[in-house]
Amino acid sequence: MRHRYPVISLLAALTLLLGACGGSSGNSGTKRTTGGVLTISNESGSLWQCDFNPYNGSVNGQSFGILYEPLVYDNLLNDRKTPWLASAYEWSADSKTLTFTIRPGVQWTDGQAFSAADVVFSFDLIKQHQELDLQSVWTVLDTVKQEGSDKVVMVFKQAAVPNFYQIAGQTAIVPQHIWSAFKDPVTEHVKAPIGTGPFTMSECTPQNITYTRNPNYWQKGLPYLDTVKYPAFLDNDPANTYLATGQAQWGGQFIPNIDTYYVARDKANHHYWFPPIQNVNLWFNVKKAPFDNKLVRQAFAYAIDRGSVSKLGEYGYEPPGNQTGVLSPTFDSWIDKAQAAKYDYKFDPAKAAALLQQAGFTKGSSGIFQDASGKKLSFTIIDIAGYTDWIASVQVVQANLKQVGIELKAQNLESNAYFDKLFTGNFELAFGTVDASPGPSPYYELRNTLHSATTAAVGTTAGGDYGRYVNPAADTLFDQFGATTDEAKQHDLIKQVEAIMLEDVPVIPIVEGVAWYQYSTKDFAGWPTPDDPYAAPAPWNLPDWEVVLTHLYKTA
Amino acid sequence: MSYLVRRLEFFAITLWAALTINFILPRVMPGNPGQAMLVRFHGRVSPQAIKTIEAAFGVRSDQSLVQQYFQYLGNTLRGDLGVSLTFFPNTVGDVIKQGLLWTIGLVGMATIIAFLLGTLLGMLSAWWRGGIFDALLPPVFIVISSFPYFLLALLALLLFSITLDWFPLGFAYDLNSSINLSWSFVGEVAWHGFLPALTIVITSIGGWILTMRNTMITTLAEDYVKMARAKGLSPLRIMLTYAGRNAILPNLTGFAMSLGFVISGAILVEIVFNYPGVGFMLLQAVNSEDFALMQALFLLITVAVLVAVLAADILTAWLDPRTRDTA
Repeated sequence: MRHRYPVISLLAALTLLLGACGGSSGNSGTKRTTGGVLTISNESGSLWQCDFNPYNGSVNGQSFGILYEPLVYDNLLNDRKTPWLASAYEWSADSKTLTFTIRPGVQWTDGQAFSAADVVFSFDLIKQHQELDLQSVWTVLDTVKQEGSDKVVMVFKQAAVPNFYQIAGQTAIVPQHIWSAFKDPVTEHVKAPIGTGPFTMSECTPQNITYTRNPNYWQKGLPYLDTVKYPAFLDNDPANTYLATGQAQWGGQFIPNIDTYYVARDKANHHYWFPPIQNVNLWFNVKKAPFDNKLVRQAFAYAIDRGSVSKLGEYGYEPPGNQTGVLSPTFDSWIDKAQAAKYDYKFDPAKAAALLQQAGFTKGSSGIFQDASGKKLSFTIIDIAGYTDWIASVQVVQANLKQVGIELKAQNLESNAYFDKLFTGNFELAFGTVDASPGPSPYYELRNTLHSATTAAVGTTAGGDYGRYVNPAADTLFDQFGATTDEAKQHDLIKQVEAIMLEDVPVIPIVEGVAWYQYSTKDFAGWPTPDDPYAAPAPWNLPDWEVVLTHLYKTA
Repeated sequence: MSYLVRRLEFFAITLWAALTINFILPRVMPGNPGQAMLVRFHGRVSPQAIKTIEAAFGVRSDQSLVQQYFQYLGNTLRGDLGVSLTFFPNTVGDVIKQGLLWTIGLVGMATIIAFLLGTLLGMLSAWWRGGIFDALLPPVFIVISSFPYFLLALLALLLFSITLDWFPLGFAYDLNSSINLSWSFVGEVAWHGFLPALTIVITSIGGWILTMRNTMITTLAEDYVKMARAKGLSPLRIMLTYAGRNAILPNLTGFAMSLGFVISGAILVEIVFNYPGVGFMLLQAVNSEDFALMQALFLLITVAVLVAVLAADILTAWLDPRTRDTA
């Protein structure tokens, strides 16, 4: 099935209309005032380097989206695609060729015209310098070539339809006339960024970045905001204080006791919403006994009280996970609830004990299960020392397992040591997320969790599937998903993957990690809400934050 | 003169020892920058890319340790401190430059003020010992000094910034300004820096008061003070130039050392008041196993302390002829 989009999307048409009406003082209705200074509160953990290189993973949070844009905007929450720098795209029948029509009339902020040549240049640049390929697009791409004056044709090595998100939605397009002059784009300190985005970087000090409206932005009439300020916060507390006192209006912060600390300060205007975007799992090292035994893994799934972990470990901010591994409510439409109900994974110590007995373990005098030789079911779980909420969650899991008769010892490691052990498979149990960023459908996270292509031998670094779970049936399902654009087929394939998650229990999704998002409606409107999830709402969701910034406007 | 020469020799030897230990320590720690980099880029880097970046960092796994050592000595003396992993692709020199001036400014000023104020109050306490001043001030400040720093800082922030709104919530200067040399900017910096400096002074002053007071009391018992009193000199003159000048000598070395340690930054100040500086930078460097940045900061601290101790020795020799060697 092929997808086609009209040259001017509905969104662009609407904004043209709104732009024509804008300029008058704000009131309810479609009139939007231009103006306003918005301040973002997002703890970055260090002072700004004033480097706006969108291909440098540690600094692209200040440039990708707001300054440099992608080809198509793909909403992380619902996979709805909006043509952006590309005005249209089309898959070939065999899903191995993707053709983009590049939008005309777009300007770089230095006045030069944007064209298909810039797109080809950007992709070739990251092919030449692998360190810039943050999304690993060249593992699936074969060639990227310009065709005619405004088309870019991408040929894939093999069908990889879901990689559309990484290629079209997550790759920044940079200007050829500036970047071809850089000696080494990997180490280039981009101080004066030239992009196509809605804002330009007008001033940068180590403490604060000021972005100003781009008067020649291709979406006419947008953005409404005049200025965006992005201060550098070293720690959570100053960032939370700024939000609570109203000095910052848009936050991406974890705030403990948010109702007392933040909402109570201004009940009418301070709001928050935490949409789940990634599972926090209990990983089994399935290469180590007894975790190679499916019955033991299933027993664990009945031995953890996910609701309790969510409430006690995560303040109730992160909803309990479900064993299908599909985020709820974000991806509810993908879950086969009837299938999940057959297993009914919930905290059931009796059932867990029964499964362990079936696996050949007996409860010892100490209350802990042991095998025939007397070896107790006692394991270590690795955790990150700095993440206090994860440590609290693991403690709840510990208590749950003890009730059933399994002993758990927590090893709270410093983050480098933790990732080292996690990536190399040097653990019995691990608590954490898949390291690759999540995507706009359950496919991405599930694939990074289960596909054997993402894993590696114990001792070498793996990009995913840290537990070294290998299931050719699962691999096939993912590969089939990658070759089809048929939505019904995609949903069916994911339901089959869910069946594997439910039966095999390769990992246990304990809680769902969320996008931390706070916003104040005192001076600004146009925020994403659960009723209107037009973009993933946190200021650190890239490039979604750009879409939010083009929607926000000053009220009266 | 020979005293000075001996001191300089000693300084050179300790400097070399510091450089060598500074080289060895990070390499003895577990973990390696290549692995740390993998974590940094979230496993999304190819092995070839790692080799390229490792080379940029000067981590040459193909060179022997001795070769690396001489390379490191040469680079350090030339001022080439390497590329930072945490703040890639900036050089370590650039990164440190950002925070160093703020640390020296804030913490340096606060330390000097604490020292001057502390020794003055200590002197007065000893002069009026037994009186109300002596009974009240030293104990109060010592109790305050023993509070954890972050507690006082947070309370000050809560009271003066949030409740009373007399001072800003943090940062070194207003978010809307850029760094310039105008008077308004200087005023801004002073206003933003007042609360952090105040908290540093209050928590460190207790030590200075106590040591000065105690040394002063023993000095006041000396014969020459009795002589000065008998001569009929004014009490102020005796307190400052006779007793004070001798009592301050032991404190001077302590002061010099604490000036040297100013460079290590005040990490809690930086976190609570969101103030730029090298303290938090050092924590980040250690957490990300950023060898280049770590080494550079440790080196800076060591050199600063050594220079400060040298300066203190010279100052003491100048002020107190008794410490000079008679050749």
